[in-house]
Amino acid sequence: MSTATTTAPTPGGTRRPGARARTAPNRPLLGLLGIAAFLLLWEATPRLGVVPERYFPPVSEVLLTLAQRALTAPFWEAVGHTLYGWALGLAIAFVAAVLLGFALGAAPRVRAFTTSTVDFLRPIPSVALIPLAVLMYGTDIRSTLLLVIYACFWLIYIQVLYGVADVDPVAEQTARSYGLGRLARIRYVVWPTTLPYLMTGLRLAAAVGLILSITAQLIIGSPGIGQQITTAQQGNAIALVYAWIIATGILGVVINIGVRALERRVLRWHTSVRGEADT
Amino acid sequence: MRLSPALAVAASAALLATAACSPSEEGTNEGELTTVTAGVIPIVDVAPIYLGVDQGFFSDRGIDLELESGSGGAAIVPGVISGEFDFAFSNVVSLIVAREQGLPLTALTNGVTSAGEQGADFGGVFVLDDSDVNGAADLEGLTVAANNLNNIGDTTVRQSVRADGGDPTAVDFVELPFPDMPAALETGQIDAVWAVEPFASTIREAGHREIASNFVDTHPDLSVAAYFTGEDRLAQDPELFADITAALEESLAYAEDNPDEVRRILGTYTEIDEQVIEQMVLPRFPAQINDESVQTLADLMVTDGLIDSEPDLDALLP
Repeated sequence: MSTATTTAPTPGGTRRPGARARTAPNRPLLGLLGIAAFLLLWEATPRLGVVPERYFPPVSEVLLTLAQRALTAPFWEAVGHTLYGWALGLAIAFVAAVLLGFALGAAPRVRAFTTSTVDFLRPIPSVALIPLAVLMYGTDIRSTLLLVIYACFWLIYIQVLYGVADVDPVAEQTARSYGLGRLARIRYVVWPTTLPYLMTGLRLAAAVGLILSITAQLIIGSPGIGQQITTAQQGNAIALVYAWIIATGILGVVINIGVRALERRVLRWHTSVRGEADT
Repeated sequence: MRLSPALAVAASAALLATAACSPSEEGTNEGELTTVTAGVIPIVDVAPIYLGVDQGFFSDRGIDLELESGSGGAAIVPGVISGEFDFAFSNVVSLIVAREQGLPLTALTNGVTSAGEQGADFGGVFVLDDSDVNGAADLEGLTVAANNLNNIGDTTVRQSVRADGGDPTAVDFVELPFPDMPAALETGQIDAVWAVEPFASTIREAGHREIASNFVDTHPDLSVAAYFTGEDRLAQDPELFADITAALEESLAYAEDNPDEVRRILGTYTEIDEQVIEQMVLPRFPAQINDESVQTLADLMVTDGLIDSEPDLDALLP
């Protein structure tokens, strides 16, 4: 952990109550500075002729296009389609992964039995399933869902398995000696132990799910942001392509902020969120 | 521990709530119209079918046509095979290859035809203005970009090379999406590109040189693409497909006769710049497939090894 440094203590690392309060306000500021530097670089690159402006418009032009589009209904319709595929896919993956993760986590034999299959299926990129998705569901929303669920499921499932395996044997034994039944032990011992893992899985899956939702629309052509990007590309509307890419980035940031807020709320009792040790 | 399970469930509940307030499926039947779904690509070539919907050529025949603009065509043939699309749009070479692979596809009408004029077609081969290449034969030993390999682009470009007295096997083709071509050409990543509108216009406007009109070199009346369906689907509902074919023919004839209308409709379903729409070279839209030109393509496909034997065109063509 952080040994000698006093300038940037990691939360929970150097246990001084004031440290966190002092570094916290700088973070959004630094974030904004980072964005400003990035935008400046983007604006300058085509303007200075490093890349031809015709093929890489400066950010001011892109943002203007984005602002114009954001006032139209089709823009929000596309955003809605993308969010729909993402949310539904993530929700299904979440529920399935939690149920299966707890069930298999509690049955070590079955878990051992399925490990090799999981290890085989897990690394298969969701995009590789596109031909299968198209064959089964065409350009339907179900194609998008298949890809999103496949990608999100493993991320959450694996975290749940680790979480369930991480239960402190002493806590487990204590619960048993207090006469807690199986369900009560899951409720009071296994669930709280797994929750931080689960939230990590959810956070990873939320980001990956958005990527897959858009990729599916991009390649399969189901309605949404991805399809809009393709249409813009096919029409050689380069500023619009980048406008959609920025919109995607903003969406990603918003989703990440949302999930982190949820994580902080759900885990507000946990040391990683409280930022203090229980000593 | 004092954790409420309700809080944890909030995660999934919030997600489900988001899902609940998002756009719903719009698949309601309007009156007595039969809903028909067509798979298209949001490009210039399919302007007639958008015009047909716009002008009511389909609804007049009791057809409520829904256009699904799948991208790049990856989803199109599988979409027709799986029944997702009742019919779709694809280039002729792809159709012949699919047919040779045992997929029972059959053409309904022509889709799009070469403009037929050297140097003024809706697609061509372009090089940088200061390139040493003056004719297609000079492409020997160089790298040419096409949007798909072993498809209509490289097959017809090879024919241009052949017609110009060059050796087509000495040309190296690489796959590159149309949208990436203008930049790849300009930055010198590639020696030549085979591009279609609107990218051909962008390339012309940037001052680059057109060295061959590969469609015209192959056949001045080249049927480049067609509307097609599956044989099973056609046999299932011959009356419906008679109506669809009639509506398509009317749409194509309308587009052929009204280029201004084609340019107008392009502004509605594509994102092409208005100025480019005004200037670009439009293809022709005859309703009938030119069988002779398809035969020429099929022969070239055998010569170039895209397919092993002479295909059965009678089964494919209407």
